[in-house]
Amino acid sequence: MPPTDASPPPAANIAESGSARPFEIRRVRTRFLGLTLDECIQGFFGGNAFVAVIILALITVFLFREGFKFFPLNQDNLRIYRAAGLEYVQHLRGLDESHLALNRYLQDVRLRGLQAMQVEGVPAAEIKARLAPFDAWTNAFGDAIDPVRGLAGEMGDLSVAAKEAYQQNEDYKVARDQFLAAGKTAEAQAIEIKEVDFAANAAVLRGLLPAAREAAAGASAVIEAQLAALPVFPVAELQPRLARFAELGREYLATYPAALAGMEAWKYDQPVSGLEAFQAFIFGRQWTTASFWQDWYGIVPLFTGSLLISLIALVIAVPFGVGAAIYVNQISTPREQRLIKPTIEFISAIPSVVLGFFGIAILGETLRRLSGWEGLSWLPGFPYAERLNALTAGCLLALIAVPTIFTLAEDAINNVPRAFKEASFALGATKLQTTLRIIIPAALSGIISAVLLGLGRVIGETMVVLLCAGNRIAIPDFGLGLSVVTQPVHTMTGIIAQEMGEVVRGSIHYRALFCVGIVLFLIALVINFLAQKIVRRYKVSVG
Amino acid sequence: MSSPLPDSANPFAPRPTPARRLEGAVSWIFRIATYFVLACGLSIFATIFWKGSATVFRAEFPFVNTAFFTQAPETLYVFEWQGEKREMGDKEFRVFREAEAAKAAAEGRPAPVIRADSYAHSAGGIFPNVVGTVLLVVGSMTIALTLGVCAAIYLSEYARDTAAVRLIRLAILNLAGVPSIVFGLFGFGMFVIFFDWNVSLLAGWFTLAFMVLPVIITASEESLKAVPKGFREGSLALGATKWQTIRKNVLPYALPGILTSSILGIARVAGETAPIMFTAAFVISDRLPWQVEKFSDMFFQGVMALPYHIYVVSSKIPQNEYTERMQYGTAFVFLFTVGLIALTSILLRNKLRGRYKW
Repeated sequence: MPPTDASPPPAANIAESGSARPFEIRRVRTRFLGLTLDECIQGFFGGNAFVAVIILALITVFLFREGFKFFPLNQDNLRIYRAAGLEYVQHLRGLDESHLALNRYLQDVRLRGLQAMQVEGVPAAEIKARLAPFDAWTNAFGDAIDPVRGLAGEMGDLSVAAKEAYQQNEDYKVARDQFLAAGKTAEAQAIEIKEVDFAANAAVLRGLLPAAREAAAGASAVIEAQLAALPVFPVAELQPRLARFAELGREYLATYPAALAGMEAWKYDQPVSGLEAFQAFIFGRQWTTASFWQDWYGIVPLFTGSLLISLIALVIAVPFGVGAAIYVNQISTPREQRLIKPTIEFISAIPSVVLGFFGIAILGETLRRLSGWEGLSWLPGFPYAERLNALTAGCLLALIAVPTIFTLAEDAINNVPRAFKEASFALGATKLQTTLRIIIPAALSGIISAVLLGLGRVIGETMVVLLCAGNRIAIPDFGLGLSVVTQPVHTMTGIIAQEMGEVVRGSIHYRALFCVGIVLFLIALVINFLAQKIVRRYKVSVG
Repeated sequence: MSSPLPDSANPFAPRPTPARRLEGAVSWIFRIATYFVLACGLSIFATIFWKGSATVFRAEFPFVNTAFFTQAPETLYVFEWQGEKREMGDKEFRVFREAEAAKAAAEGRPAPVIRADSYAHSAGGIFPNVVGTVLLVVGSMTIALTLGVCAAIYLSEYARDTAAVRLIRLAILNLAGVPSIVFGLFGFGMFVIFFDWNVSLLAGWFTLAFMVLPVIITASEESLKAVPKGFREGSLALGATKWQTIRKNVLPYALPGILTSSILGIARVAGETAPIMFTAAFVISDRLPWQVEKFSDMFFQGVMALPYHIYVVSSKIPQNEYTERMQYGTAFVFLFTVGLIALTSILLRNKLRGRYKW
């Protein structure tokens, strides 16, 4: 029995509940609906547990039920994309878009050259004169794409019109069905539905293929000629960038045959398989919604964004979290321990929205200022201009992950049997050797699972990334090396929070967001499962 | 290291070897890492407390900015009037403008044109937000605690250790790690759309309750499991029924643990924004939750909540000297409240930890 027991000992219960004669066993128990009181109580608790379990199962079922309907819808979405000829025209548009990107590159070079000359103190008229040959060349390069662009626009109008007609028809059909369901046959018949003739549309588009070939050939000839005659840039340091441009331009020209072959291979009535719809989501590199051209629901940009931010957070949080755990458990005095542990737990109680606010109000600007500081310019990506980016969000998420990692890692280190430590000391190892060679390896499984759970906490965090990650939907440019951390990104949690409030119920967009939710759900399950498995599998046996 | 002899005289004093110096250096690295984390956390607290206290506290009696706690958020108008800068909340500004127009009309002048800069949500107070948050927390914790504690009692005391029960336990444990936004998504799809409750208090209650449910079940079961088996067996051996045993010999000793986990649950429910963003929270609502025609309507309308308000004021309006006051003030109140709840839980646990030892 515990020493501080306020309740009467169990023996008193019988005396209380029974009659005056304490040892008589009553034969008849009170029954409600044929159940004894105890069975009723058990039933009550069991019912509660049942409800709780049902609810938790319902969450899973509901998520999947709403999410999985996305795939048929996306299949249809892709089918129309193909049937209406958007897929066909996209090849030409792609050429135009890549050309635009090359033009931006040239503009950037020009701007830098301009700034360099201004710094040198060259007068404005002189700058203009010096840049004139370059500008003329740039203009010629820019105009080269015009025939392709014109044709792409023309063909695009045709296919968008076909797509819109189809969508309008679908709306009419829904309206007609609703009228029929309501018994209003007259109104239903008044709705005239003209099926869109995709075949005819495709024939027209196909007919334009020779024109497209001609335009592409013309454009590529002009561009090739331009690339062969690179101008001399007035600022000598930037000349290598022009050479690089020529390289990029040749790579661009090499895409022409592929684009034309793609147009050639287009079949408007080729069916889109369910697998394609699934792949378009899992491997899709674009998340574009409410676009006049085509909506894409590809999770890759969001997933990479989430991953990038989580990695930044973990890179910061793991050394600090594990280091603090080692310090508190092995090095600090008991007094320090009593101070540090509750404080770190207290940090975990800071609501994430407050952290997000702190990031917007203070940390983003502070980090940006810091990045402009001369002494830090050797760091990758410094200085940068965007106040809200992956780094800002990552730093704040690190503060969220540290308490999780700290608490669990400290537990793991604490669970290492004392005998290990004592044996190590007895063999003459120093305290440091014992900690690094004995304690940490013994607790490693626990530490790894702590890091995993920290990752789970970070990847599911919403408010901080929504407020501080910059919310630009694009795959971070990993080609830039480590400076990728200073790019603004969007995340899976952020996109749900941002777009869920505005979607039409039951629409493909709504379902796509549920699919993102399912992905998050699965990631969380996998991380939890792994964490538990690692702890169990590699537990040091205390034998 | 308090030895009565000076170090030089102590034959057992550690000699400074390279290994020891390294040890000292490494432990300093760990120490700095630890205190850096503490410094980061505390600097966030300090910044928000420092800047927020300017809004929340006043130098003279009653020392607290009562308007901030009793009014609803309003738009702030800033304008030049007769050479001096004036700041007014929405209602005050309208009255002022009408008064000026009337004055001008009486004097036969055309009504003065007041060019004011407006800042949304930057005047007034946060009373409806506090009320909304309290309502959300109370409702959802009632649901979650009832379901969670009862389910934990069943799982720990009554259920036999079958494969099904183990599976359920595993599922609950795993659900505890699911991101809150996924619960928000579920709540939106289920309560707001499927049940057609729209954005409402009720939808928020259930969403938040289901979010903390796995946490509460797991934690409560753990504290029930921590009560030694002998307590139950002793009681049963003396002829007590199962319920008597649980009531008298298990629950009293498990209660502290359940209490701490539920207080932590409160901190979590109060602090979460993502699940209520599209299930329960309104950006602005001109009526308080109980100002409804029918009592039952109260549950079917959204409320304003503190965390969502922070999100709105920090993302939707620009940062400047006028908007800053409201932003920091709200963050201060929110952080202080949630921090206090969490602190209570931590202190309570530390106090109770040493109370029962078996």
